[in-house]
Amino acid sequence: MTNDLMLLMPLIIVGAGAILLMIASTYDKLTHELAAYGSAGIFAVAFLVQLSFCIAGKVAPFSEAFNGILVASNFSKAAGLIILACGFFTSLSSQAYFKRNNFCSSEYYSLTAFAASGMLLLTMAQELISVFIALEIMSLAIYILVGYDRKNVISTEAVLKYLMLGAFAGAFFTMGSAFVYGAAGSTKFVKIGQYLATNGMLHSPAMIGGAFFIMVAFLFKAAAFPFHAWVVDVYDGASVPVTGYMATGLKTAIFAVFANFLVIDGALQQKWITFLFYISVLTMFIGNLIAIGQQSLKRMLAASGIVHSGYLLIALVAVGTKDFTGSVIAFYLAAYAAGTLGIFTALSYLGGKGEARKTFDDFKGLAKARPYSAAAISVFLLSMAGIPPTAGFMGKFYIITSAINAGEVTLAVLGIVSSIISMWYYLRLIIAMYFHEAEEQFDEPAESCWAPACTFVLVLCVFAISLYPIAV
Amino acid sequence: MMHCYLYLSIILFCLGIVGVVARRNVFTVFMSIELMLNAANLAFVTFARVHESMDGHVLAMMVMAVAAAEAALALAVVILLHKHKGKLDTNVFSLLKG
Repeated sequence: MTNDLMLLMPLIIVGAGAILLMIASTYDKLTHELAAYGSAGIFAVAFLVQLSFCIAGKVAPFSEAFNGILVASNFSKAAGLIILACGFFTSLSSQAYFKRNNFCSSEYYSLTAFAASGMLLLTMAQELISVFIALEIMSLAIYILVGYDRKNVISTEAVLKYLMLGAFAGAFFTMGSAFVYGAAGSTKFVKIGQYLATNGMLHSPAMIGGAFFIMVAFLFKAAAFPFHAWVVDVYDGASVPVTGYMATGLKTAIFAVFANFLVIDGALQQKWITFLFYISVLTMFIGNLIAIGQQSLKRMLAASGIVHSGYLLIALVAVGTKDFTGSVIAFYLAAYAAGTLGIFTALSYLGGKGEARKTFDDFKGLAKARPYSAAAISVFLLSMAGIPPTAGFMGKFYIITSAINAGEVTLAVLGIVSSIISMWYYLRLIIAMYFHEAEEQFDEPAESCWAPACTFVLVLCVFAISLYPIAV
Repeated sequence: MMHCYLYLSIILFCLGIVGVVARRNVFTVFMSIELMLNAANLAFVTFARVHESMDGHVLAMMVMAVAAAEAALALAVVILLHKHKGKLDTNVFSLLKG
């Protein structure tokens, strides 16, 4: 039991910290700046605890907790690290963002911590109802964060869309788990795996239907085709730091649980790999099409998030190989998180009051006025486009390699083609920043040194992650 | 006999889907989602009876708790929408065109 609690320590720290912050928010003395530092501190402590678990090798690589409901594997720990780092950078970039935009209260930071605890639980969950509860802890907090700007009609509309579709997907997930429970007699992944191993996938119609419903819910949350339509709107309506948080932390959690669900049994994979193949190809190309047409930077980044989901689905297709450890997925998620968080952190202090700077044209000539920020943004964009020596390149390299190892050469080629197409919209911003005359001076005083500092730390992360060796 | 409960649960679930897709009122949409969750609960309880275990009952309770939290949030959003537009018709909200 003690051991179980130790495995959950980062989750407990974040959860308890969130509750403490929520209680402390009732005091007037807790300004939202202090709350930002508080939540960043909570994330930092939890990150260090998680990191010490990762380094201390004595913990078994795959240990069950709470009677097999939760599992702490190397994969879940890596995903947890990414999520906690996302939370840390989001807190600090929100602090800079809310110096210029006055709709913050200190509860905002407690909600980020709640969302993070949901995400952490999601990476470890090995039981369908725990997955559902974790999904809802995360989603409920994120819904509120999306609609945090209550005076803004657009953000209200975004929260309406997200809540309606998210709850719809949640209902699909519960129905799916009910059917799977009906077929397998248990909602634990291990038991479902045993059932599938003895009876096969097509033995009972309840299993087929249930697995299909669960898959639909996951694909919706992961923003894959054909459930991608909400992403662009919701990301556009949310404020910049929240969008960054959703694009990175939430996606990490969803893909972690998606991979955990798929590895439970070979029979399940065999049936789904063909579908995932088409879904990942369509996700990549539809995402590219949407991204190319966008004028707004935030909408472009949202659409590029769809494309990156497509790459991650390629990695999931490669789940079928024998020695799947999830390291490729975790690496790509880390690389993507560093780039995306970096760009959103930069936007949160460059965006201007009320996010006045939105389109590509608004950032014309940024390189003359703010050379360091423009250089940082360029690094992030190049990483997302997959240019060496950035982390994004290595992530794509590992994904394509694993796809080839799994025998999916067509998929690998299509992934490369999509990555070339995506240059179009990433380079467009770099061209706007470097090769156009400035229309404005970008000279508002820097109100907080934290967001620029975070941006430069993330630049370092982009290069450092690319050096981290993993075995494919 | 068990089959009847399952059919009922599937019918309720389909009614919920129809409600979400066809209705334009935000309230009705959220009510339909609750209907879908309750259909899942019914399926859980029925399957618990089939397997003669208590797991399904516990799971149904969990789903109910989460559904209540979601309903609370949905109502808050409804109030927010009403403040902005004075209407609860989903067609009114069309600023974002993805």
